[in-house]
Amino acid sequence: MKKSQIGFLFILPWVIGFIIFTVFPIIAALYIAMTDWSIIGQASFIGFQNFRAIFADPTFYKALLVTGRYAILAIPLTIITALLVALGVNNDYKGIGIFRTIFYMPSIVSGVAVAIVFKWILDPTYGVLNSLLRLFGLTGPDWLYDPAWVLPSYLIMAIWGASGGLYIYLAALRDIPRELYEGATIDGAGWLQKIRYITLPMLTPILFYNLVMGIISAFRKFTDAYILGGAGEEGVFYMVYLYQQAFSFYKMGYATALAWILFVIILGLTLVVNYTKKYWVYAERK
Amino acid sequence: MRGGISLKRKAARRGIWLVLLVGLVLFAGCTGAKKEKTTYTFATWAAGEELKEFSAIIDKVNREAAGQYQVEVLSIPSDYYVKLATYIAAKKTPDFFWLTQELIAKYAELGAIADLTEMFKGSQVLTPDQYYPGVLRSATYNGRCYGLPWIANPLMVYYNKDLFDAAGVPYPPATGGWTWDEFIATAKALTRKAQDRHGNTYQQYGYIVDGWPNIETFIWAGGGDIIAENGVDVLLDSEESLQGLGILQKILKSGITPPYREVGSLGSNNVWFEKQRVAMFMGGIQDNFEVKIAKMPADEQFRIGYAPMPVGLDGKAHAFNWTASTVLSSKLAKSKQAYEIMEKITLEFFKWKIASPISGEVGRIVEIAPMKAAALETIPICLNQARSANYVPEWNEINHHLWLKLYNAMLNDPDFDYESQVRAIAAEARALIANRK
Repeated sequence: MKKSQIGFLFILPWVIGFIIFTVFPIIAALYIAMTDWSIIGQASFIGFQNFRAIFADPTFYKALLVTGRYAILAIPLTIITALLVALGVNNDYKGIGIFRTIFYMPSIVSGVAVAIVFKWILDPTYGVLNSLLRLFGLTGPDWLYDPAWVLPSYLIMAIWGASGGLYIYLAALRDIPRELYEGATIDGAGWLQKIRYITLPMLTPILFYNLVMGIISAFRKFTDAYILGGAGEEGVFYMVYLYQQAFSFYKMGYATALAWILFVIILGLTLVVNYTKKYWVYAERK
Repeated sequence: MRGGISLKRKAARRGIWLVLLVGLVLFAGCTGAKKEKTTYTFATWAAGEELKEFSAIIDKVNREAAGQYQVEVLSIPSDYYVKLATYIAAKKTPDFFWLTQELIAKYAELGAIADLTEMFKGSQVLTPDQYYPGVLRSATYNGRCYGLPWIANPLMVYYNKDLFDAAGVPYPPATGGWTWDEFIATAKALTRKAQDRHGNTYQQYGYIVDGWPNIETFIWAGGGDIIAENGVDVLLDSEESLQGLGILQKILKSGITPPYREVGSLGSNNVWFEKQRVAMFMGGIQDNFEVKIAKMPADEQFRIGYAPMPVGLDGKAHAFNWTASTVLSSKLAKSKQAYEIMEKITLEFFKWKIASPISGEVGRIVEIAPMKAAALETIPICLNQARSANYVPEWNEINHHLWLKLYNAMLNDPDFDYESQVRAIAAEARALIANRK
């Protein structure tokens, strides 16, 4: 047996798993999106009817608006927060490891637990946040109970968990050659100039990666939104809407069509970001 | 001779063929005959202690079957309906399973559960006329019965006698007859500043609404409904339904209930009653406030009173009733044995929890829950007032709109223009029903 064939044998279990658990479900999902399947009944092929119904449904646009608005604000906010935290803990002071651990902890906590804790933090009457505001003589908003404050509530949660990307930024910061900073120091560059002309350009590949992952994660927001909701339809994110269609209303065909639309949206945004890469991602310049 | 031998051979051959043919027919007959199933699965959402009690009931039924059949328990303690749907999609539908009333119509429409009407009517053991009518309706769709309800849990008004005494407010009648106006007036009299045992002042409320009781309670209070009995007409925007929602708005505006944003601060609505922050609570007859209060420190305990639901504008009191039914997989629609097993298990369930959904069993309530003795005057009235909505396959979607766009909006803003919103939801409901196959 040739050496290359032996190699294929080694990856065969993965290939089989990939075909059964990835390729087949994708093909099945394509078919299901064109049926009226309700999970517990028979499926009939209905062509593009689900897609037509989705584009005529005001709730779809509302869910898209809620999610899109969140994505536009949460993605830059979380990237900036994580970057600032990484810059702050990127030194060798004694005990800095403790701070790094503290900042990284939100990313290892279960999403359900975070949602439950934030339910209490954002409680309008006895919540930590409003209690703190009261100390300064301020009256806090009703957070998740007020349609106007649902989005800010979710942004606060997003910022709290933003340092999940901390170690990626830290690794990238450590990768920046010291000589660049030394040269800049000799040339008389200050801290801000070093950040502007060395750190940020060198971090652009990581910023690009986090931007793409941020887009995917923002559009797939589910756990805390499903648990906490929000006043009226302000807490109905796209994935919550999709889940409701599938498992509360038993419209699996419709929900699968929604999943395909989400896939196209995420793919489109990723392609746009990828196209802009040549203008701002340092590592890709030739 | 030759001709004789030839004839004999022919006859022998024919004989062999005949034997083979008869054998084949008999063999086919034997293999084709459907043997009665002997092992059944019963899916339940019960978990923990409830599952142990459930399993004990199934064990008892199995013992009495003496090997004739065996029922196995399939416990699905979380994500019950998602997992159940997955079982059905995988053609592994449990033979019997519990189904909440809201989904009976949906599962019936999709052909997942058996129509029990004929077997139910023909039964000598458990017949439709034994059930409280309002309870049985919860398992009915398009005039056909799809489940055997095994529990009844209609609403009644629990009230704190100590808070009534402190405010000098007379108790509501234990046998009913009070109106919604009287209910609101009573709640107003109980809404006042109060002091706890440490001398701290707090706001005491007469009543609590936070999405519970469900919106049907108020719509029925006006004499209206969401969907008509025919399962097609939408009554949500009828004058009566709007009047009922007017009662809800009156309650929300009157200040007799804590603001919606505050309710979550104590965890859930029932805690407000248990902590004596509200004087009246609409709960199912099964709610175990008595047990919880008995476990509290002596100086936190209080006396509970019971009253039926207030009388609505149609002159009737309607007690929303939540019922679970045992249903039969549609693949066993013709199995008499399966139906009989289900019937047998259902009869055992009647002895398990309160309240039994069939009439004449009120006495059993005290055997199961002795602390409910003081409510025995009220409970039979509530059982007779028990009512469920006219559930249709589109119910979950309609109800979702009702909660998000109407009830939630009213709770957040007591001045909310509910009338125009109701009309919009009614139009959506009509469109959904019109698309029914």
